[in-house]
Amino acid sequence: MVLDQLRGLVRPARERGPAIVVDQLTETFRLYHERPRSLKERLTKPLQRARYTDFNALEDVSFRVEHGESVGVIGHNGSGKSTLLKVLARILPADDGRVDINGRVASLLELGAGFHGDLTGRENVYLNGAILGLTREEVDAQFDAIVDFAGVRDFIDQPVRNYSSGMYVRLGFAIAVHVDPDILLVDEVLSVGDAFFQGKSLERMAAFRDRGRTVFFVSHDLDAIDHLCDRVLVLEHGKLAYDGPTREGVQLYAQLMGTVRDEVGPDVARIGSGDVRIVEAHLLDRDGAVVRRVAPSTTLTLQLRLRAERPVDECSAGATFETGDGRRLYEVHTTWQGLGIGPLEPGGAATVEIRFTAHLLAGHYRIGPSVTDPSGRIVHDVLPETIAFEVAPAPGGSGLVDLVAATAVVEGPSARRG
Amino acid sequence: MRASLDEKLRDLWRARELLRQLVAKELKVRYKHSALGFLWSLITPILMTVVFTVVFGFLIKIQVVDFAAFFVAGYLVWSFFQNSVQSSVQAITGNGALIRKVYFPREVLPLSNVLAQAVHFLLALAAISPYLLWTRGRGVLAHLPAVVLGILLIAVFAGGLAMIFAAANVSFRDLQELVVVIFLVWFYLTPIIYPLQLVTNEVQRSAVARAAYQVIRANPMTWFVELFRYPLYGIVQTMGDEARSTPPAWPGPELLVGATAVALVTFAVGYLVFQRNAVTFAKEV
Repeated sequence: MVLDQLRGLVRPARERGPAIVVDQLTETFRLYHERPRSLKERLTKPLQRARYTDFNALEDVSFRVEHGESVGVIGHNGSGKSTLLKVLARILPADDGRVDINGRVASLLELGAGFHGDLTGRENVYLNGAILGLTREEVDAQFDAIVDFAGVRDFIDQPVRNYSSGMYVRLGFAIAVHVDPDILLVDEVLSVGDAFFQGKSLERMAAFRDRGRTVFFVSHDLDAIDHLCDRVLVLEHGKLAYDGPTREGVQLYAQLMGTVRDEVGPDVARIGSGDVRIVEAHLLDRDGAVVRRVAPSTTLTLQLRLRAERPVDECSAGATFETGDGRRLYEVHTTWQGLGIGPLEPGGAATVEIRFTAHLLAGHYRIGPSVTDPSGRIVHDVLPETIAFEVAPAPGGSGLVDLVAATAVVEGPSARRG
Repeated sequence: MRASLDEKLRDLWRARELLRQLVAKELKVRYKHSALGFLWSLITPILMTVVFTVVFGFLIKIQVVDFAAFFVAGYLVWSFFQNSVQSSVQAITGNGALIRKVYFPREVLPLSNVLAQAVHFLLALAAISPYLLWTRGRGVLAHLPAVVLGILLIAVFAGGLAMIFAAANVSFRDLQELVVVIFLVWFYLTPIIYPLQLVTNEVQRSAVARAAYQVIRANPMTWFVELFRYPLYGIVQTMGDEARSTPPAWPGPELLVGATAVALVTFAVGYLVFQRNAVTFAKEV
């Protein structure tokens, strides 16, 4: 009797019913403008209250996932995808509404969570395994499979400080995919590593799905979502915009991604004077079609539609280009190219095209359009949402920039491969 | 999805392997880089004992038999307590990356610090014990069960405070600086370099001594230090200028019950305070 109870404590039996039920979930973040963060401030200014505005990262989201389903979640940056995943993973509490999860959950939001550089690969496997909720016996049983999957057998007793970043990530991933829960929650961890490694990990997740487990997968990678999921949820500003078959959801999302429309009402604070507004922004290919996924070194056009709210003599439109993780790659403004826009009367419109060649390699990128005065000192408007696009992997090169390399053996024997 | 206390305790039980791994990590990381390994963690108590013995045993002449043994018996338990709580202050704020990315019962972070310190404590105690045996006689061994019980109780007490400080430091980031001062004051208000007997003898003579006596008696660390010192050293019975003390002795039932109650209540309060705050750690760190 007591033993049975203890066993129940160690691993509860999988209950009947759906794997995940989310009912009217609202998740609120407090954005503090002023906040006493120290005891000193609290004591010296006892009357100072924290000032904040509430911001709903998720609003009234409801859905259910049955056991054995694989569901993808897509949406803009800031649409609430990661927040949803964190609530399901119990990292964040449900502020309002209800979340029920039946079954053992493993969440992969980060690879190699808790790795310590001074510990050996072996020691980190056990530590990270425990963080992911594995028992020592489970890690023992999977240890060889993990080491072989990561391909780090020769280095397993070296401190991970000495690992290359590739080895580090591979080891983290190998541990993660050897967790064998009923429900797997995956964030964009798949977007790391090389193409070969990404393929390997997708395979792993497909096998997991085929064993009848539940997969809940957040990603920007529509191919992976398409490959893996029967159903997608599209999130838009924290609300569930779509819940249904993958194909239609992906199409809807592609439209949302390639085009950003000015849907922001006047009550929402926008950066800038507002003398000139960006009304629409599109990313187009040579044929004028909206795109969001392109081959390396494709020539693209960023089309911005502007409207003046007040009379303006001259203004400048521009854009910043960043990697998905926020590294600045490039910035351009029409005035830098010797081109001014205007004069514009109130209500007057202009369409600006910025043509560029994306000498970039596989990854996610963002474009942030803005309008300023000719000197760049006064900002008229910044698009509150960036335009996201993705560059497909290129054969024969890897990295960030497409240098369009060509190779030749000019002396000595060579062989044509593949 | 606010989990009940029952579910939370179940989570903690399930996370025992994680707790074990975190303790192992602390110890390995600490001892990995030095060939001398754990000798380093012995140097502080030995050095402190030498300095305090010279100053308070020989120069200021606090009337206690075997001052070095008297001091080290109290100092070891104190430094375990202080190191446990101080290393736990940043257990949550210093692990933001982990807390934002993985779910696990958050209390394993401060508790693993306490357990890792407990291992250092046991090793230091084992290393010092020949000296205690030599000065205080074989009674030290005979009273070992009381020492073990004392270690358990102080660990529970330290665990409770570690959770409170770890959670409080999330809201008040300057707590980690304040803690140093708190512990300095607390150290002198605990009978470590002086026997409680000395304060008792002074009570009749001045109002300041009377006030100090009240504070020191109410300080729970006084009880834990006494609980520990009885079986390891003995009971100080200094009268006037004549230093006297008994050989190692059993702590009385009053002391045992009091220390047990304080340890359990502190742990329970610490756990509840921690749990109240833990749900929002991922948003705050």
